[in-house]
Amino acid sequence: MPDLLPTPFLAAVAREFPPDFASTDPAELHEYGRDWTRVYPPAPSLVTFPRTTAEVARLLALAHDLHVPIVPSGGRTGLAGGAMAACGEVVLSLARMRRMDPVDVIGATVRVQAGAVTETVHQHAAAHGLTWPVDFASKGSSQVGGNLATNAGGINVIRYGLTRQWVLGLQVVLAGGRVLELGGALEKDNTGLDLRQLFIGSEGTLGVITEATLKLTRRPGRLDVVLCAVDSLAGVLQLFQAVRQNPSQLMAYEFFTDVCLRRLLSHRPLRPPFARPSSHYVLIELERAEGLEDWVVGLADRGLVADAVLAQGPVEAAALWALREGISESLAATGVPHKNDIAVPIAALEAFTHELMAVFPARYPGWEIALFGHVGDGNLHLNVMKPADLDVAAFKARTAEADRDVFELVARHGGSVSAEHGIGLLKRAALPYTRPPEQIALMRSIKAVFDPHGILNPGKAFAADVKRSPGAP
Amino acid sequence: MKILVSAKRVSDPNARLHVAADGRWVEGDVEYILNPFCENAIEGALQLAEAHEGTETVVVGIGDEDTARFLRQGALARGIDRALLVNADEAAIDSDLIARIYAAVVAKEEPDIVLLGKQAVDCDSNQVAQLLAEYLGWPQATFASKIEVVGSEVRVTREVDGGLEVLGLTLPCVISADLRLNEPRYASLTGIMKAKKKPLDELELDDLGLGAATPKVRVVAMSTPPGRVAGVMVKDVDELILKLRTEARAI
Repeated sequence: MPDLLPTPFLAAVAREFPPDFASTDPAELHEYGRDWTRVYPPAPSLVTFPRTTAEVARLLALAHDLHVPIVPSGGRTGLAGGAMAACGEVVLSLARMRRMDPVDVIGATVRVQAGAVTETVHQHAAAHGLTWPVDFASKGSSQVGGNLATNAGGINVIRYGLTRQWVLGLQVVLAGGRVLELGGALEKDNTGLDLRQLFIGSEGTLGVITEATLKLTRRPGRLDVVLCAVDSLAGVLQLFQAVRQNPSQLMAYEFFTDVCLRRLLSHRPLRPPFARPSSHYVLIELERAEGLEDWVVGLADRGLVADAVLAQGPVEAAALWALREGISESLAATGVPHKNDIAVPIAALEAFTHELMAVFPARYPGWEIALFGHVGDGNLHLNVMKPADLDVAAFKARTAEADRDVFELVARHGGSVSAEHGIGLLKRAALPYTRPPEQIALMRSIKAVFDPHGILNPGKAFAADVKRSPGAP
Repeated sequence: MKILVSAKRVSDPNARLHVAADGRWVEGDVEYILNPFCENAIEGALQLAEAHEGTETVVVGIGDEDTARFLRQGALARGIDRALLVNADEAAIDSDLIARIYAAVVAKEEPDIVLLGKQAVDCDSNQVAQLLAEYLGWPQATFASKIEVVGSEVRVTREVDGGLEVLGLTLPCVISADLRLNEPRYASLTGIMKAKKKPLDELELDDLGLGAATPKVRVVAMSTPPGRVAGVMVKDVDELILKLRTEARAI
């Protein structure tokens, strides 16, 4: 649909860039117009593939002058629609900008372009015994720029924190084409507002990240994995307290309920971990836990675990991880899940879940609740499953109402409506539950400073909706 | 009935191993795991013991205290009754000497069935069960995917090209376990606690009359595959076709 774009813009793109810079091939428009959120039909007008920061700057100058909406695009593995182009926007793909400079082994940093794929950064650093500890299932497709723009989470947040903590310097192009160099390879830089942090997690609404200096750390040693059977959520939290006393570094503390495990085992031929089921399970990963057996026996003696399985080596560790990581897929394969990714303070988790279970079954009878998540970060993946006797449309309609109940509860317990997936398009309606109107207004004021014409990812996260058709002055 | 199984530790197949400077063995920070086929043998013994009351299960391993750890965690914690550790340097024995050690253990223990993993995933030799059967003069069935004891006979199902073969063996016999024999159980917490109290007896090669035994095969050299050569960028399709034709000789 390039006819939606102003003629001077199209003419400038054709005149000023190499012939393979832009594409209107329907297959590419479809592919680059969407992310892993399969909710909205992709409908971009044009996909562009700059090779240099200068090309990004020139494109953003044109887009700013001619009011053309831009969707910055990385590996498109997001789950909230932040990289969707559904309204005739121009997609700015960073895929060709994937240069990685040599690793600075002394400073443990590496400078990369935004399109570098997460896993290739890992491999690049691994050659020096280092790693960039931003890790999740989509690492083979996700790109550094997208990880930064969404402040991505993942399975080792309890150990390493969010993406935000592993970025030293940024190069950002603003709407209008100005290039900002924010920080370099400095660990310390206490000089005024840390503008980098505004861009990290801004979901492409403030500027386009083109390069980053990433902070690296040593690769972890042997990882020991224990799966524990626990008989209540309160028990999961008590166990967490005890686990944090273990002197070994905690890498992951993940939990899931028996509802999740039963659906997983009905979907995939995996080994059941325990002879007798329990209501809750906790997967603990520790780095080089010495005396692990005695320690787990001690947990059992104190009544903190009903039973436990200790992985005998990496093969069993992977088999135990599969029980946790296969849940999301098996819920979709065995029914129709409606997903929420929420956070509450760890101290409030029990009260929150208790209230949820008190309210939900009465109001939505027959809706099975599948709970799992990174409980060590207070992050719950709350999935409700469609009852067999309800048709899909009716279920979808009622989930909107159920979401309101959930979000009110989340807000009451001081939580967040989106723990790690961001807001994008999908969670726009949820945002006001945990970010009050004056905060959203402040976010929009900040956006106006960087992007006065509102061309960058309009309608995403906190950004105002697209009010005009592309190109209208 | 009495069943003897073995447990061998192997270097983690996912780890990157390096050949030592003298070209003989691997070096580096190697993590070990229990050989997966040994896990199938252990599970097979446990299932036979569950099906036939009064069956005693014994595990044997060769090595040092680290092998003892695998005997406890991998075998006793899963339910094997007791363990034997033969103290020896694993790097200095070959498949044949392993078979002779096992034969000496069999002479002491007098099991009805010796159930071994079909091969260890480090060297992939696939020799011990066969050599052991020969030394003992016992019948053998390799690559078992199913084992049943029917009266005085053991029925072993083997997966062969194009179908299944079912063998009937007289007791005592040697069987090697394939991956499809079973799905090994996890060691439960109660199993781990019980394992601490189960007997683990140590044997020296002298006790087995093998104090002077030497391996018949020695590793002469080991080398890693040649490293990958860096790729080149081609200008256009013509250059690609030219290179495919003249350099790669692929077309």
